[in-house]
Amino acid sequence: MPTQTDPTRNRTDGQLHLCFTRPDTAASTRLQVQVQTPPMRVVRAFPIADHAVLTHIHNVSGGVLGGDQLRLCVDVQQNARAQLTSTGATRLYRHRPGYGDATQTNHFQVAPGGLLEYLPDPLIPYAQARYRQITQIELAADAGLMYWEIITPGREAHNERFAYAEVQLTLDIVAAERPIVLERIHLTPATQPLTATARLGIYPYFATFYLCRVGWPPAQWLGLEKTLAAVAQELTLPGEILWGVSTLAAHGLSIRALSINSRTIMRGLLQFWQLAKQAIYGLDAIPPRKVY
Amino acid sequence: MSLAILRLLQLADSAFPIGAAAHSFGLETLAAEGTLTPQSLHHFLEDFLWETGRVEAIFGRLAYRGALQNDQQAWVAQWLGLNTYIAALKPARESRDASATLGRRFLQTVAQLEATPRLCQAQAAAQQAAVDIHYCAAFGLVGGALQLGEEATILAYLQQSLMGLVSACLRLLPMGQGRAGEILWGIKPLIDEVATASRASLPVDETTIDLTHYMNRLTTFTPMLDLASMRHPTLPTRLFIS
Repeated sequence: MPTQTDPTRNRTDGQLHLCFTRPDTAASTRLQVQVQTPPMRVVRAFPIADHAVLTHIHNVSGGVLGGDQLRLCVDVQQNARAQLTSTGATRLYRHRPGYGDATQTNHFQVAPGGLLEYLPDPLIPYAQARYRQITQIELAADAGLMYWEIITPGREAHNERFAYAEVQLTLDIVAAERPIVLERIHLTPATQPLTATARLGIYPYFATFYLCRVGWPPAQWLGLEKTLAAVAQELTLPGEILWGVSTLAAHGLSIRALSINSRTIMRGLLQFWQLAKQAIYGLDAIPPRKVY
Repeated sequence: MSLAILRLLQLADSAFPIGAAAHSFGLETLAAEGTLTPQSLHHFLEDFLWETGRVEAIFGRLAYRGALQNDQQAWVAQWLGLNTYIAALKPARESRDASATLGRRFLQTVAQLEATPRLCQAQAAAQQAAVDIHYCAAFGLVGGALQLGEEATILAYLQQSLMGLVSACLRLLPMGQGRAGEILWGIKPLIDEVATASRASLPVDETTIDLTHYMNRLTTFTPMLDLASMRHPTLPTRLFIS
């Protein structure tokens, strides 16, 4: 048995590189799978409304195993519209001694006029899980993004709440070469009480939803903030769920939630998605066909 | 040395005319909803120091060291990059705007008192690039430009940040001056610890900094505070701008 961590020992290097193209504005978006190695897989792109396609990202392992190194690259080309989702919650399994931390690296690029909707199911970090997620998103002029992330405290059905060892989430959103969002989250529940008032308080579930369209005027973002803040106020039930809305430093808006469960978060996210997509694009949000 | 201390005391005083007393950075929402109480305030400030204070101390140090850099072009790029990163790390508009308002006023006010070339260049470069100047960066830059000492500058910044929050809590919570003084007195060892931790995050005395490298080493997680700031505009009654 090895006595030290060898990050390359028997690890799985899964890669998925997807390219969405739309040769002309009368055509629908097409998916080209450029690289696909297990355990990551896509089956096909389903046409949905407004020349967009929906693609499910499968992890045939059933979750992220200790030591896995997974890489997802998504290239949304000019005027293409892609919606990506997972096939279920992402289970982050316990760390395996002798293996490196499980790592998921995401790199998304959206070209002018393109739109990427990345709407995965929640992350569920199991007891003793060690997970690192690095997401870099680059948006060109008039590119759009709708991106949410939901983090659960663990397998609550197994009485696991904040039993994971470490979760690191790094997110950079760069719009027209200017960073507009930086998240640098490092959660170590054993040494850093997440229930502290400045962090999660009594709400173990949290979610963030970013809505961007590069070049949309600041005054319109402020107007949308006001509209969605009124909805956030209606949806907020202190002791159960809190919602907040704010414009970003430029080109977008963020919506945050803290909740005592994931169901109410999901319902709210769908509502905000619908309202925001109508306001920003004049289009309906088409939820993936699954039970939320 | 004594002149540096005297200057720093004035810059970090709550009476320094930049309007800091008008901001609660989301605490008003937490107090209004009963999430923040006189009993929980001390622990809250400890967490605030570790999460927000430490990151702002690192930015303050980077700005301080930038002020000592000789390469003007590299410094301007670093100064603008630093402030852009700070803005991107602040998800709540009101808190981000508060930081930018205080930063701009702080730099303007100090530049009127002591118009060193670097302070004037910092204002001009930010204005030209339409980049907001954030308070922690402005404080660090002023410390460097006036050679107030990096450690003293960072400690003073953290101390005045906490004093501002405690001062806001005096108006928001059923708490007296005596209790506020006890909290501020008792938390000083932690201020020192956080300042030391921020120093350990950076190379010793290096003025040319690869910002991207340090951005990847920062961590901060205050979703409740961010949400409180996002929800502040919808409070029925508000004493504070943020």
